[in-house]
Amino acid sequence: MTLTSSNAAFIFDPNLSNYQLSETHPFKPLRLELTRELLQEVGLLTPAQELPLRMIQEDLLLQVHSRAFVEMVKRVSYGHEAEDAFLYGLGTSDNPIFMGMHDAILRVCAATHTAVDAVASGSVLRALNAAGGLHHALKDKASGFCVYNDLAIGIHHAVNTYGLRVAYLDIDAHHGDGVQWLFYDNPNVMTISLHESGQYLFPGTGHTYELGKGAGRGLSVNVPLEPFTEDDSFLHCFDTVVPKALEFFQPDVLVLQAGADMHRFDPLADLSLSMAGLLATYERVSALADRFCGGRLVATGGGGYDTFRTVPRAWALLWAVVSRQDVPSVVPVSWREQWQAQSPVPLPETFMDEPWEATPRRAEISSHNHAVAERVLSSLAPIWQELQQHAPS
Amino acid sequence: MLVQEIMTRQVIAIDSDMPIKDVYALMEQRNIRHFPIVKPSSSTGEKTRLVGIVSDRDIRMVGSDHPNAKRSITLKDPVKEIMVYPVLIAHPLDPIEEAAQTLCDNKIGAMPVLDNDELVGIVTGIDFLGALVRMSGVSDAAARLEVEVDNQPDALVKLLNHIAYHNITVLSVMPSRKDNDVTAFALRVNTINPRALAESLRNEHYNVLWPQPKATQP
Repeated sequence: MTLTSSNAAFIFDPNLSNYQLSETHPFKPLRLELTRELLQEVGLLTPAQELPLRMIQEDLLLQVHSRAFVEMVKRVSYGHEAEDAFLYGLGTSDNPIFMGMHDAILRVCAATHTAVDAVASGSVLRALNAAGGLHHALKDKASGFCVYNDLAIGIHHAVNTYGLRVAYLDIDAHHGDGVQWLFYDNPNVMTISLHESGQYLFPGTGHTYELGKGAGRGLSVNVPLEPFTEDDSFLHCFDTVVPKALEFFQPDVLVLQAGADMHRFDPLADLSLSMAGLLATYERVSALADRFCGGRLVATGGGGYDTFRTVPRAWALLWAVVSRQDVPSVVPVSWREQWQAQSPVPLPETFMDEPWEATPRRAEISSHNHAVAERVLSSLAPIWQELQQHAPS
Repeated sequence: MLVQEIMTRQVIAIDSDMPIKDVYALMEQRNIRHFPIVKPSSSTGEKTRLVGIVSDRDIRMVGSDHPNAKRSITLKDPVKEIMVYPVLIAHPLDPIEEAAQTLCDNKIGAMPVLDNDELVGIVTGIDFLGALVRMSGVSDAAARLEVEVDNQPDALVKLLNHIAYHNITVLSVMPSRKDNDVTAFALRVNTINPRALAESLRNEHYNVLWPQPKATQP
C-alpha cells in the first residue's frame, strides 16, 4: 500500500474496541475512538494514513507466553469454568473474565505486531497502535488490566524476524514490568522505564537496582519517580538517563509505550505532569528516534484512565509528533459537543492545560528524583564500560 | 522464619594456619567479608572443628598504627594469630529474630551456622536485609495500601474481609506504626487500582493513609 508524505501509519480496526474488560472497568477501549475522531476533526488523520491490522496466528503468543497460560485464557474466554484461573491472574478484580477475551486481546497483539512489522520491513518509518501497550502481562499471568503482552510480541518479531536491536521506552506512570521481565536477559532488547515509584504505585517493581541479568545485564533501566512529580523534574530525569542509555545501546528501532497516566488528572496514578510535559516528552522521543534509529519509531498507547479529558488530547499530540505534523492547539467544538454528555468533567477547549498551582513540595520532590536519576547512571556506567571493552570491534 | 531459610550455604572455611595475606587475597577474590576458621582433622582422627572467625576489619588491623593492633604480627603470619574466638554461632533452626538480635547486641556482621558441630552455613547482616525485602513482597506485582486499624481482636480480620470482598489478593501485611489505639498496616494488594479500594474503605470509616483521594477527579 502507499502511504502519505508523513510516512507514518495509524493502526486501526473497528474491532479493536472489543477489549472491554467489563462495563465499569477503568481500562476503556473507547479511548481509541475518542482519539481517532479528535484527530480527524483537527485534520491530522486521513484514511490514507490508516493501516488495517493483519491478524496473527495464535502460535505467536507462545513466543512470549506459556502454553498453559494461553490454553487457560482460551478456556475461560469461551465460557468454560476453571477453578485455577485465579492462579493465572484471571477472574481477579483487575482482570475479569469476559466472553471472547482471547480473540479480543489477540487482535490488540496483532495491531502492535502490524505496527512493528510495517516499521521493521521499511514500508513506513513510524507507526502508532493506540489500542496497544499492555505492558504488565507476564509469561504465565495476566496482570494490571493486561492479559497478553502485545509489546513483547511485537518486540520479539522485530528481534527474531528482522534481526533488529530494540530499545523499549516506557513512559506510562506504572513500571513496565511485563516487558522488562520478558526480556530481562536478552542482549538485543534494552528496556527503559520512567514511572511513579513502586513504593507508592502498582506494580511495586522498577527499582534502580533492576539492571538486567546474564547477557541482558546493563540493559534494564529504571527511573522511579516521586508522586506529584511535575514536567520539569520528569524531563530533567528523562534527559539525564535516556539519551545516554540509547547512545550506549545503539538500537535499530525505538518502541514507545506512551501510557497517558502520568498526567495530573489521572485517577489511578499520582504523577503531576501537564499536557505540555507530555508533548515535550513525545518530541524528545521523536528526536531520539531520528538520532539513533534513522527515525524508526513504533508507539503504542497504554494506561490513561482520565478517559475523555486527558487521554484523547495526549494521544492526538503523540500522533502529531510521530507523524511529523503540526501540533494542534484548539480542541474542536464539534468534538467536545459530541462527547461532553458522556464525560463526567468539562472537556477542555485547548490541547494545553490551564495553568495550576505548583506542587508545594516541588523542591524536595525534584531533589530526590534527580538523585535517583544520577544513581541509575552510576550503577549502569561501569557495566556499560565493561560491555564496551568486550564488544567485538 | 528460620536461619536455614536465609543463610548462605556455600560457606568457605579457612585453615587456621593459612597466612593472613592469602586469606585477604581470597576475601578480595570472592568478595566475602567473613571467614569461619577451622582446625582441620588430623591424622589421629580428630574432627574438623570451628576455632574462630575473621573479618575484613580484623585483617585491616594488621600492620596498622591503631593502638589496638598487635605490632608484631605481619601478613605472613597464620590467620589464627588474629582470628576472633570464642565464636558466636547460630543453629539452622534458630528463629531469624533471635539471630538478628545476637548480631545487633554484639555489633557483629556474621555468625557461622553449626548443626551438630558441623559447619553448614553462615548468616550475615546482608541475609537479614534480603529477608526483609522479600517479606515486604516487592517482587510480586502489587500496589501499596496503608490503613489504620483499631487495636481490637477482630479489627484486622474485618479489614482483610473487606479486601477479599473486592476479589483482591493480599500479598503481604506489615505493621508500619503502632499507637495506643490504632496500628497502621502497610499492605501489598494485587490490584492496579487501589484507589477504588481505598475509597470503599473510607466509606466504611477507615483512615486510609495511602493512596490519597485525588482533587482533580469529580
